Amino acid sequence: MDRRTFIKGTCLGTAGLLVERLDASAQRDLPMPQAPPILVHGLTPHKSSPLGMPGLFPGRVVEIHDSRSIVRNHVSQDVVHPMLEQGMKELTGERSARDAWAKFVQPADVVGIKINPSGAPACSSSPELVREIVMALQAVGVPLRNIVVWDRYSYEMDIASCRTTLPPGVRVMGIENGVRDLSGYDLNVYCQANFFGEWETRSYMASVVTQGVDKIINVPTTKDHSAAGVTGCLKNLGYGSFNNVARSHRPPYSFTDPLIGMMCTAEPLRTKAVLHIMDGMRQVWHGGPLTQVQDFIDQTGTIYVGTDPVALDTVELQAIEEKRREKGAPSLWEHDPASITSNNEEFFHNPNKNLFYRRPGHIAAAGKLGLGIADPGRIEHRRMVLG
Amino acid sequence: MMADSTQTPATVEGDSEWITLLKDAARSGGQGRRPARPPSRLRWRLRVARAIRSSPILRNGMLYVAAVDGNLHAIDAVSAKTKWKFQAPGKIHGTPSFSGNAILLGCDDGKVYAIESETGAKVWEAASSGEVWTSPVVRQGVAFFGSADACVYAVNVSTGEQRWRRQLGGRIYSTPFSAGENIYLGCGDGKVYCLNAASGAIVWSTPTENGIDCSPVLAAELVLIGSEDFYLYALDAASGALRWKYGTGLGIVSSPAVGDGAVFFGSKDGYLYAVEIRNGRLRWRVQAGEAVTAPPVFAGGTVCIQAGGTGALDSASGKLLWRAGLGGAVQSTPVLTETGIYLAGMDGELYALE
Repeated sequence: MDRRTFIKGTCLGTAGLLVERLDASAQRDLPMPQAPPILVHGLTPHKSSPLGMPGLFPGRVVEIHDSRSIVRNHVSQDVVHPMLEQGMKELTGERSARDAWAKFVQPADVVGIKINPSGAPACSSSPELVREIVMALQAVGVPLRNIVVWDRYSYEMDIASCRTTLPPGVRVMGIENGVRDLSGYDLNVYCQANFFGEWETRSYMASVVTQGVDKIINVPTTKDHSAAGVTGCLKNLGYGSFNNVARSHRPPYSFTDPLIGMMCTAEPLRTKAVLHIMDGMRQVWHGGPLTQVQDFIDQTGTIYVGTDPVALDTVELQAIEEKRREKGAPSLWEHDPASITSNNEEFFHNPNKNLFYRRPGHIAAAGKLGLGIADPGRIEHRRMVLG
Repeated sequence: MMADSTQTPATVEGDSEWITLLKDAARSGGQGRRPARPPSRLRWRLRVARAIRSSPILRNGMLYVAAVDGNLHAIDAVSAKTKWKFQAPGKIHGTPSFSGNAILLGCDDGKVYAIESETGAKVWEAASSGEVWTSPVVRQGVAFFGSADACVYAVNVSTGEQRWRRQLGGRIYSTPFSAGENIYLGCGDGKVYCLNAASGAIVWSTPTENGIDCSPVLAAELVLIGSEDFYLYALDAASGALRWKYGTGLGIVSSPAVGDGAVFFGSKDGYLYAVEIRNGRLRWRVQAGEAVTAPPVFAGGTVCIQAGGTGALDSASGKLLWRAGLGGAVQSTPVLTETGIYLAGMDGELYALE
């Protein structure tokens, strides 16, 4: 079903954006309920930058694979190092990795590294890759004290042991410590919508985004998501920067499309997110984002680099769709009532089952919001195989 | 097999005292206690904070609970009434330790605070340059603690004055184990270190293949410690030489407990393991949760663990004896007494079971 899409500004001027209907991609089978109006109240005034999404290289995705990078579930930092260097040089056209990084980060910047520990311990941003990013930032001249590794949930970072192997001096921050902890959020920047009659209709942006950092390097993982279809760059950034986001999906329905993309348009998130390094060491093709079932986690040994989160997520979506086809699992686009279960255990162990009607259309919707290119025919997908 | 009490300056001062991580300096947990019986009822439940990561400690009928929000709470174990609170300037993630009448407490502001246990007044503070998640270990007038600034510190327990500082190769979240002339700990650089307790000099170091969060225990002259490289290591305490190692499915941050000749530990692969100390062979393994990160507690034939909820298993067979759907924890451990069990949950709740 094709749906009309229209966006209009609100009385909040440049700071506000109201989406009444936004559903860019053809959904299959069942019609999904329409999303309610979503108000995005970004930081104002805010100076945009060409580095902001979709960034310096719209539509370009560099995929770097090395089969030696993960062996028996151990990631090798020695192998990840040249993968990241080669990928950054390929992305930017620079001859040296240092020059490639310097296109995005200056020595005076405070740089946030947004990781994804939500699938920990089975699948989360690899510490080996995060360490390589830290070292690359150091090489550009960013002092360790000006590097902040962060996510929303402290306990997930704890389970992932995100702190232990980072160099001393790097700041490691979990935004929320326990339920209803708003202390790490900026109450002036929010998205507002009433999806299911919830009592709190606002989601606030993390203060580390609005005030704590100058640039953000986004380090999502590659995995399917029971509500959004996939959790890649856009979801890691949007749902990882705002609180109170689980309210957007209530079984079996999900409004992750269009909320994920809308959140990524909010300033200053959009401008500060200058680079996306997707960790495809492991690929979750069913049970995401929280599964711990190794049967559905492939050790793929891949890194994706780009500045365009929409293009990156499109490539990720294709890869997971391909894997699901190979395994005989239904498409992420399928909206078959027979596939829906309310039993978590059944969902985690049966790839034919799901908790929600997935909404991978959030990627194309984000493309229509100007965050990047979703049309596969316009994506410049460069593949590198190092070993 | 029990921890070697001739080597360890255990400071157990009574059956109902639980004065540091895993009870005492020997990390003896509930050793010597009769098998922990299934709790029959909830005596009380108290909402302490939004989140608690550390374990409660207990002395003279008072529970001391550090919440992530930086508050140290002194709570009457019978009435559940709060006697005092101390607000630290930063978050608290580590289990406090008693030293005399003072409670030592690491904080994310980089300091260790000594708090008077009767009043909650600050006695002294000792500074480091990184957050302190480790429990201070007290021995012969000196408190040892590791910091995320990659240094191990030794300070005077009466004044907080620094005795020595030893820089290692990575962040430190592993609580030292003190025995004989030395202290032992793991490090984010992947090495297990043995330091001379008097000088801080490195006696030996042994590498593993990834960083170490886990806190070690000594038993049968072996240092037992897990690594993010998926292995539990048994190292010769005198030389650091590898005696054996046992592999699991994911990283090990759960600090081991020893008893009945076995070492018990959890893995992030979701299993609780019992491995024979003498040869590193598996005795049993049991699925205990999605990821087991908290340390188990051994108590007279049973092993208690907070993973998802709280459970107790037979130490010989791994058979589940009882399970309660409360007290899910990332690092907190049960406090076992003759009359009951105290649990702190990641959700900020404190429970008294009997």
